[in-house]
Amino acid sequence: MDYKFPEELKYTPTHEWVRVNDTQATVGITDFAQHQLGDIVFVELPEKGMVFEKGSNAVEIESVKAVGDLKMPLSGEIIEINEKIVDNPELVNSSPFNDGWIIKIAFSHPIEIDELITAHEYKVITQKELQQ
Amino acid sequence: MDSETSLNLEGGNEDGQKNYVPKMDLEEINLQDIVPVNLLRQDLPLPNISEVELVRHFITLSSRNYGVDTGIYPLGSCTMKFNPKINEKIARLPGFTQTHPLQDENDGSLEVLYEISKLLGEITGMDAFTLQPAAGAHGELVGLLIIKKYFEIKGLEKKKLIIPDSAHGTNPASAKMAGFSIIELNSNENGEVPLDQLEFAMKEGDVAGIMLTNPNTLGVFDRQIKEITRIVHDNGGLCYYDGANLNPMLEICRPRDMGFDIVHLNLHKTFSTPHGGGGPGSGPIGVIDELSPYLPEPCIISTEQGIVCREGNNKSIGRIKAFWGNFGIIVRAYAYILALGGEGLKRVGQISVLNANYLRVKLMKKYHLPYNRSCQHEFVLSDRNIPNEITTEDVAKRILDYGIYAPTIYFPLIVPGALMIEPTETESMQSLDSFVEIMTKIFEEAKNDPNLLKTAPHCTPIKRLDAVLAARKPILHD
Amino acid sequence: MDFIPHDNKTIAEMLNVIGISSLEELYQDIPNDLIIKKSNLPSGLTEPDLLRYMENISRKNKNYSNSFLGAGCYYHYIPTIVDFVISRSEFYTSYTPYQAEASQGYLQAIYEYQTLISKLTQMEIANASMYDGSTALAEAAIMATIITRKSTIILLKGIHPEYEEVVKTYCWGQDINIETCTEETLQTKINDNTAAVLIQSPNFFGDIEDVSKITQTVKEKSQNCLIVQVMTDPTCLGVLIPPGSTDIDIFIAEGQSFGISPSFGGPGLGIFTAKKKYLRKMPGRLIGKTKEINGDQEGYILTLQAREQHIRREKASSNICTNQALCSLAALTYLLALGRTGLKEIASQNIQKAHHLKMQLKKLPGYEILNKKPTYNEFLIKCPNIEYLIEACKERNLLPPLTISKYYPEMQNVALVCVTEMNSGESIEAFIDAAQSALKKKEEKN
Repeated sequence: MDYKFPEELKYTPTHEWVRVNDTQATVGITDFAQHQLGDIVFVELPEKGMVFEKGSNAVEIESVKAVGDLKMPLSGEIIEINEKIVDNPELVNSSPFNDGWIIKIAFSHPIEIDELITAHEYKVITQKELQQ
Repeated sequence: MDSETSLNLEGGNEDGQKNYVPKMDLEEINLQDIVPVNLLRQDLPLPNISEVELVRHFITLSSRNYGVDTGIYPLGSCTMKFNPKINEKIARLPGFTQTHPLQDENDGSLEVLYEISKLLGEITGMDAFTLQPAAGAHGELVGLLIIKKYFEIKGLEKKKLIIPDSAHGTNPASAKMAGFSIIELNSNENGEVPLDQLEFAMKEGDVAGIMLTNPNTLGVFDRQIKEITRIVHDNGGLCYYDGANLNPMLEICRPRDMGFDIVHLNLHKTFSTPHGGGGPGSGPIGVIDELSPYLPEPCIISTEQGIVCREGNNKSIGRIKAFWGNFGIIVRAYAYILALGGEGLKRVGQISVLNANYLRVKLMKKYHLPYNRSCQHEFVLSDRNIPNEITTEDVAKRILDYGIYAPTIYFPLIVPGALMIEPTETESMQSLDSFVEIMTKIFEEAKNDPNLLKTAPHCTPIKRLDAVLAARKPILHD
Repeated sequence: MDFIPHDNKTIAEMLNVIGISSLEELYQDIPNDLIIKKSNLPSGLTEPDLLRYMENISRKNKNYSNSFLGAGCYYHYIPTIVDFVISRSEFYTSYTPYQAEASQGYLQAIYEYQTLISKLTQMEIANASMYDGSTALAEAAIMATIITRKSTIILLKGIHPEYEEVVKTYCWGQDINIETCTEETLQTKINDNTAAVLIQSPNFFGDIEDVSKITQTVKEKSQNCLIVQVMTDPTCLGVLIPPGSTDIDIFIAEGQSFGISPSFGGPGLGIFTAKKKYLRKMPGRLIGKTKEINGDQEGYILTLQAREQHIRREKASSNICTNQALCSLAALTYLLALGRTGLKEIASQNIQKAHHLKMQLKKLPGYEILNKKPTYNEFLIKCPNIEYLIEACKERNLLPPLTISKYYPEMQNVALVCVTEMNSGESIEAFIDAAQSALKKKEEKN
C-alpha cells in the first residue's frame, strides 16, 4: 500500500498534517489515517472561535466502523472550518491533503511548530504501526 | 426490496375496521365535550391494513430472517443456544402475563424472583441479587454505580476503573456512564491480564476496581485470576465480573471463588431466553453480602416474615428501572434452571467447551489462530493467512451463501480481522462438521476464486449493502 | 430436561479429535481449587413436571376480571396477530442483525416500526427501542446534557415517581444536577445551566397538559434548553395531538400499551424519538434504508453504529446494546393491526369510559375528583376511606386503583383510577357499587 507523504507539510505522530503560513495553520488528517478509518461518513467540526490546547481533541471523524479524533497539532483558536466536508465527508478520503482539509487555526504558541515532525519521520512511524 | 415484501404504510382501507376493540356499551360522548379542541389531533397517519395482508407480510419477512431455529448461529460472546419451547408456554401463562406490577396479590411473581435469586446465588456464589436490570449493559451500569456509591460513602476518591483491551464495548461505555475514567490494560501474548501492569495501575491509589470477564473474549481462561483479584483487593479495589461468558463455567467454577465482588448475568445468553432479534434481555446483578445494602430498590430479600421487599435503605444506589425488571424473561430463565438442574447445567458447561475446542482443532488447520491454546466456550481466528487479500468481512458474507449465519467479526479489537466463534452446547457434531466443511470450502475459494468472496453474498435475498451510503445519508423512515 | 444432542459415543469421538481423554481435561486451565466439587442445585425436571410446577406458582398471583389500576402499566386488548408474529421463531430466536443480508426480515420490520412511531408522534426520528419508558427518559436527560453541554435537568411535577427516581439515579452517575418544580415556578428555575426540562403528559395524575405552553415558557427564557416529554400510555395518541406538533425536542413513551402484556411490569418498550438535528447524539440502534453496493435493490441495515458502544466504547453517550427488539415488533404489529381506525376508537373509548366513571363518581357524596385539567384514562379521586374502597373492589373481583400515598404519603385517601377500553359498562357499575359500599361502611364506623 503506497501512502502519500507530501514533503512540504509538517506532521504529528497522531496522524495530523499541518500547513503553516505566517500566523495560521491549515490542518487535516493524513492519507494513512484516512485509510485506517475507512470510508468517512461524518465529521463533527468544532465552532469557529473555540480555543484548544495542543494535543486536545478538536474534531471527531466517524467512519462506518470506527471513530477517530483529530488532535490539535498546535494550541490556538479555530478560525475556519471546511464546510464542504459536512455534506461531502468523502473528500477527506479522496483528497486528505487538499480539498479534504479540516480546520484552520490561528496558533498562539509558535514555538510548538518546532515540535512537529517531518514527512520522513512520520513515514517511519506509520511503518512501525503497520508492523504491529 | 421487491414488491412482495413492501408494505404501503400510507392510506390503505378507507374505512378500516374495529376488530380488536370491545363494543362500546356506554353512551357515546363527544370528545370535544371532554377535551379542548386544540388538544385533539386532526388526522392519524397510520395505514388501515387487513389481517390477511399483515399475516402474509410478516410471514414473508420471517422467511427472510435467520434464527437459531434455522441453523447454527456461532456469534462469539452471544451464546446463541437453543431456546426451549416450553419456556415460551410458561411465560405466557395468564397468571404471569396478566399480573400488574403494582397489585397486592403477587405471591407467584415474587416467588419467581426470590427463587431464581437463590439459584443464581448457588450458581455464582454471590449472596444477594437484583433482577431489575433489563440487559447486560444495564447490569454493568448498576454494578458500577454500586462501586461508585461504596467509595462515596467511605469518603474515598476512586474515579478510575481498569478494563482489559479485550473487553466488550459496553464495559468502558458503562464505566463512563457511572462517572469513571478508564485505564486500559494490554493483554499479554497469552491473552491474559499482565500482572505487572495491573500492580502498577493499582498502586496509584485512585483505582476503584477492575472489570473482567473470565473466560475472556478470546475464549481464554485467565489462569492467574485469583492473583488478579487479590492484587485489586489488596489495593482497596473491587472486582466486577462481566457474566457474558458464564456458559462454560456453569457448575464448573464460580465467579465468587475467582474473587469477584459483583457479577452480572445475561439471562438471554447463558440461561436460554430468546435473543428476540436484539432483546428483550435481562441482566441481573449479584453481589457479596457487604455490598447488598447498595443494591437498587426495591430489592427482594428473605426475612422471618417470608419474602419481603426492601425499600428506603439509604445506602442503596436508588431505582434503576420502573417496576421489577423484565419479568417475562426472568420467568423463562427460572424455568430453564429448574428444567436442567445441577447436572444439566454442568453438562451445558462441559459440552459448550467440548464443541468449541472441536471446532478450534479442526479450523486451525486452515485459519490462523492467534492465541494458540485450548479455549473455553469460544475462540478467535483471524484473516491473516487467507490468500488473495480476502478479509474477514468477505468470509462472513460468503458464509451467508451457504445458508448459515456468520460468526462475530472484527471483535475483540485486539485481534485484527477477528472472527469470533461460539457454537454453544446445543449444536450437534453433525452441525459442527457442516460448519467446518463450509469454512474449509471458503478457504479454498479464497485461493482459487477470490472474486467470488469479494462480491459475496450472492444467494441471499439482497446482495452486499452499502453501509457507507446508509451512514452518510441516513434514511431512517419512510 | 436435556437439550444437548450428543450421546456418549459422540462425546468420545470428539474428545479424540481434540486429543484429550475426558471432559475434565477441558478445564486444565482452571486452578484445581476453583473447580466445584459438589453441586447444591436440585435435579432437573422434565417438561410435564416443570409445567405443573410453574402453573402452580402462576396461580399464586390473583387475576381479576376487570382492572382499575394503571400508574404506568395498562390493560389493553392485544390482538391475537401480535403473539402470532412475535412467536415466529425466525424472529424471536435471531439476534442483532449485524449480517444485514441474512436479516432483512427483521431489519425491515424495525424500519417499519421506526416509520410508524415517527408518523404517530410526528417526531422526525425514532430509534429501534430502549429498555422502557423510565430508562429512556433518563437517557434522554443525559443526551440533553451532552447536546447543550450543560449539567442541570429540571423535572416538572407530574412525572411518574418511579421514572423520577430512575432519572435521579442515572444523573447521579454522571454528576448531573436535578431540580424539581411546578408549572408556576418553572420560569424562575430555568437558568444558564439548564440542559432540559422534563415533562410528562398525560401526567402521572392523569392530566393532559398543554405542552406547547410549557415549550413557549422555556424557549422564552433559554434558547439552549431542551424540552423532553414522556408519556406512559401512548394509546392516547389515537386522539390527542402528536408531540411533534408542540416543538418539543425529545419524546419518550412507555410502549407496553402497544401490544405487550402487563407481565408484572416487564419487558416493556422504551419508545425514543427526537428532532433530526440530534441524530448523532441519539442512543440506541437505528435501522436505515440503503442500496446494494453493486445493484439497484433497496435494503435495510443497522446504521450510524459509530455512535454506539461497540465502536465508540468510553466515548459513547450510552452503553446500550441489547434493547427490546421483539417488543418493537409487537408494537409494530399492534399499530398495523389496529390501523388508524382502530387506534382512534381505542383512544376514544378510553377517554369516554373514564369520563363516564368520573361523572358517576362526582354524583357520590364523599368522593371528589381532584383533577382540574382534562384527563385521558386516569384520574385522581379523594375517597372517604381508601382501604374500604380497595376491599370492596376486591370483593367484586375488580383490581383496585392505586393508593397514591404509596408515592405521595401526604396525599391520604386518594386513589389513581384507570379506565381503559377493556372496562365493560358492568365493571364501571360494579366500581360505583364498591364506592358506595365503602362510603356506607365509613359512615357506619363513624
